[in-house]
Amino acid sequence: MPDRIAAQPALYSADPGKPPSLNGGRCRACGYVFFPPQQYGCESCGAPSDQIESVALAGRGALHSFATVHLYQGKGIEAPFTVGVILLDDGPSIRSILAGRTGEGLKAGDRMNATFASQGSDDQGREVVELRFEKSGEKS
Amino acid sequence: MSRTLLDLRPVYVVGIGLHRYQRLSETTYVDLGLAAVREALADAKVSWSEVQSAYTGTAIVGMAASRPMLRHLGATGISMAQVENASASGSTAFRQACLEIASGVADVALAVGVDKPGPVAMAPGKTNIRDLVGARVVPFTHFALLANDYMNRNHVTAEQIALVAVKNNRNGANNRYAQRQKAVTLEEVMAGPPISGALTRLQCCPVGEGAAAVIVASEDAIARLGIDRNRAVRVIASVTRTERVYREAKNFDAELTRETVTQAYREAGIVARDLDVLELHDAFTIEELLYLEAMGLCEPGDGARMIESGAADIGGRCAVSASGGLLAMGHPIGPTGVGQIAEITRQLRSEAGVRQQPDARIGLAHMVGVGAVCVVHILRHE
Repeated sequence: MPDRIAAQPALYSADPGKPPSLNGGRCRACGYVFFPPQQYGCESCGAPSDQIESVALAGRGALHSFATVHLYQGKGIEAPFTVGVILLDDGPSIRSILAGRTGEGLKAGDRMNATFASQGSDDQGREVVELRFEKSGEKS
Repeated sequence: MSRTLLDLRPVYVVGIGLHRYQRLSETTYVDLGLAAVREALADAKVSWSEVQSAYTGTAIVGMAASRPMLRHLGATGISMAQVENASASGSTAFRQACLEIASGVADVALAVGVDKPGPVAMAPGKTNIRDLVGARVVPFTHFALLANDYMNRNHVTAEQIALVAVKNNRNGANNRYAQRQKAVTLEEVMAGPPISGALTRLQCCPVGEGAAAVIVASEDAIARLGIDRNRAVRVIASVTRTERVYREAKNFDAELTRETVTQAYREAGIVARDLDVLELHDAFTIEELLYLEAMGLCEPGDGARMIESGAADIGGRCAVSASGGLLAMGHPIGPTGVGQIAEITRQLRSEAGVRQQPDARIGLAHMVGVGAVCVVHILRHE
């Protein structure tokens, strides 16, 4: 298997052979689990950086809502594309690009899992992958 | 012990003025702002030399906006400062002016909002906290996601949400200060270019340029300057809050509004059904439904049905976005919150012409801003 790297290594790991997971944060003082990760201090209880630890969040959850974006002229993706809010099994709710462009066949409550979309390769020939979510085979 | 506005010196809105909200033009921000302030001074029949303090709500024009604009009214040497609070900049400038009157630091103060579209430096982008979607999710998609959830939970159609744009554009068509002054049909709203999710172009507010100004005064100033008491409208609550961590609720926009408005009702000693007019942050159609419910103007899940029933029309139970709201009047950022106060004052004075809500006595102004912040004022004609 060729090497691959995450497009946003601070947010998720793309280790070959492992299921995709997200890099979350957890407050040791109050137990609050959050995403995206940050080290400034706990938003829930105010505990400082030394109380915040990294925690891997499984790339699995349920679809809360989604919207297909028709107007976008930025880099890296072409409209239309679909954004979903996913309630991770590990706690936080996150927003992610979904694998399908139009959201066809999706409904709230669908089981979702993280997957990788290729974004080409970097100057060392490694595949750059971006994390997205898709409907999983699991029953909701 | 902390106190509320009603415990302090009474504060009255005594003058209002606007420059029409419009697409970006060659007009300088100075001309926009001066037009609104001069109209407000004339409306109050107060001379600039009586104004002791000025707050300029502005988020885009840049550093040091106030004096290069206001010096052309006469450089009287008064206190001036800019207030930036994202979309709630104008609302927060108004709050600061009210607090100066209430505290007794000033007897006459100005809140002016002015902005022109242009490049803006956003601090949240400098926190180095990135998320998965970044710039691919802008406000219209944030609210498209809430619209999708709302439709699922309440069995509401995209057309029912779009009716908010029909109502607000109907109101804006009769407002000479509105950016969009054209009534639209539901078919026209639905046929517009799709933007994100269920939201079409006419369900997203236009962001242009403009200005709004409000003069506030104490009872002492009203007596001393001979201001018409019948046209003075009292500010009976001023509340601002910011987002907390809502561990259970998935819709922080609605929760923040619920908390802020609940506190404002309590401080003003009123309940939701006392409201005759309401200007809220309808930057996107779905927001009006979410906030009507969060403010208790209808039962949870009944926002769309309230719009359909006509209860939010001018002449209904509570006129919502009688100015046209952000959707039709527009959302030039700095001016928006001040413009809401101008509309409510006009309504409570019974000077709103064809847009007049009959027997309007109590009104509420509500803005939210990126951050998230929420600012609420309640006004009453006594």
